[in-house]
Amino acid sequence: MKSILGVLLILTLGTVPAWAVLGQYESSVSVDQQSLKGEDRVQAFEGYKVHQLTTTNGTMIREYVSPQGLVFGVAWQAPFMPDMKQLLGSYVTNLQTASKSQTQVRHLRGMIVKTNDFVFVNSGQMRHWRGNAYVPSLVPSNVSVEVVR
Amino acid sequence: MTQKNGSKIAILGCLMAVITGLVFLEGCGGSSSTSSTTTPAASNTATVTIGFGALGPSGGYVNGIWTTVTVCAPNSSTSCQTIDNVLVDTGSAGLRILNSALTTVPASSLGGVSADSNGDQLQECTQYGDTSYTWGPIKLANVELAGETASSVPIQVIGGTSAAVPSQCLATPVNPTLPNGGNYDTLEALGANGILGVGAFGFPYDCGSGCTLTSNLTQTGYPYYVCPSGQACSAITTSTQVANPIVAFTSSDNNGVLVTLPSIPATGAADATVSGSLIFGIGTQADNALASTATVYALDGYGNIPTFTYNGVSYSSPTNYSVLDTGSEALEFLDASTLAPAGIVECAGYYCPSSTLAFSVTATGATSTSGTIAFSIMNADTLFATNNAAFNDLAGDSGTSPATDFFDFGLPFFFGRTVYVGMQPGVFNGETSPPSAASSATYGYYAF
Repeated sequence: MKSILGVLLILTLGTVPAWAVLGQYESSVSVDQQSLKGEDRVQAFEGYKVHQLTTTNGTMIREYVSPQGLVFGVAWQAPFMPDMKQLLGSYVTNLQTASKSQTQVRHLRGMIVKTNDFVFVNSGQMRHWRGNAYVPSLVPSNVSVEVVR
Repeated sequence: MTQKNGSKIAILGCLMAVITGLVFLEGCGGSSSTSSTTTPAASNTATVTIGFGALGPSGGYVNGIWTTVTVCAPNSSTSCQTIDNVLVDTGSAGLRILNSALTTVPASSLGGVSADSNGDQLQECTQYGDTSYTWGPIKLANVELAGETASSVPIQVIGGTSAAVPSQCLATPVNPTLPNGGNYDTLEALGANGILGVGAFGFPYDCGSGCTLTSNLTQTGYPYYVCPSGQACSAITTSTQVANPIVAFTSSDNNGVLVTLPSIPATGAADATVSGSLIFGIGTQADNALASTATVYALDGYGNIPTFTYNGVSYSSPTNYSVLDTGSEALEFLDASTLAPAGIVECAGYYCPSSTLAFSVTATGATSTSGTIAFSIMNADTLFATNNAAFNDLAGDSGTSPATDFFDFGLPFFFGRTVYVGMQPGVFNGETSPPSAASSATYGYYAF
């Protein structure tokens, strides 16, 4: 997060923010009326911006949006495993159709999926899950995938 | 929630713990050697064996750490069944046993936990990081480990219900490459007769306060449910959660465990030829004193060692965490791209360097104690070709980039040392746990 160009803070306490969906437009934040209640903080960085959604139960979802307005990455830290259908949208299919050679399973602990245009990492245990997913072809050319965390 | 069959039993367990605690305090108060007036110390050492487990080399997994558990009807020492091939897991909390493994003492003979006024039973959907899950009822049981008895502790009976698993729990799509569609309710899928979670973090329940708040009942991935006959399952709050059985011991050996494993050769050891000890209690008996040479790594509020440093780069919890985890078969250390300059090459999810490589990382605990941890990584293909089952140098990716990489010190780390897993102090059945051997470790600790 070292390339902070300017920081724009918008606090929307008490509203019902929802999750953006990987690969869709930023407006999907408001389309989804998911049960996540809390705070949406938007920060602008060089080449992208981030919606950080946090709730009182300790869930944090970060959505990474390109200048074209597309969500190119999502990251999560949560006490209950997030709804991946909600977070990943159509990329759930990529998760479910990944072959064994594209999938590394850590028995009971975690999973890594690496396909040509979809990367997914999840790990943890009850009380503390974390991971991220991104679409390499949607990541802005001047932005490192390292930001999706 | 109500708990028809369990409440009286739980109170009895409390009283027993109080009585035992008083006896211990009176007998052992001033000096460590005035034990003549106490009841004999419990036999506190269970044997663990390293290998493929019940499924053997073709279906089991390497570096499994197995022990034997005796499950009894609550407050019974006679209606019991001994179950082997139970995985010892410092990465989770509580005992989970396959329904199919409970034969002579069926699940129906264990204590029920009613979750509504109709007596419908409490169920749990426990998710795992690979998106697999175990689904089944919570039962109260006496759990015997070595000479220790956990009195009337909640366990999960995996597969012990006819109700379908709630879709709310499985909003995370199950990876279809997993056995049995990710539903680990068979020996073939789980690879074990059960899991014994003896982790340090989250005293002593698997879900904790998150499952006592009604505001969480709409969360996907929520674990606890009631499933009335003919109706869909509903998420419910409960304080009768699966709990680390150590805390329910009637002895004072209830503040943590020691895992002691011998050294093994770099090329590994054959299936079931390596044995070690799972010792209960830390600083409670002559055999489990916290060694003065051990460094205590206090955990942070996420249950992690907060920071590890490799090659001048610092990785910090919660984004980049590190844990000591007997339930992991490998050293899950950064990722192959990040470690490429050090000579790491990936091979089907593991690391396959052309020669054995030595690494060292610095770990720093929540109370700022730190130490250097040295380990080696050998070519995983070479290791697997030996057909051995125990390896101290098997490693693989934790993630895909430093953004989410972590360091899960799996079973390879535990060979040739004693690791203390100090439980987070807290309250179980109204009783405060005995003092931690490392009092500054608010969330528990590891020491080695």
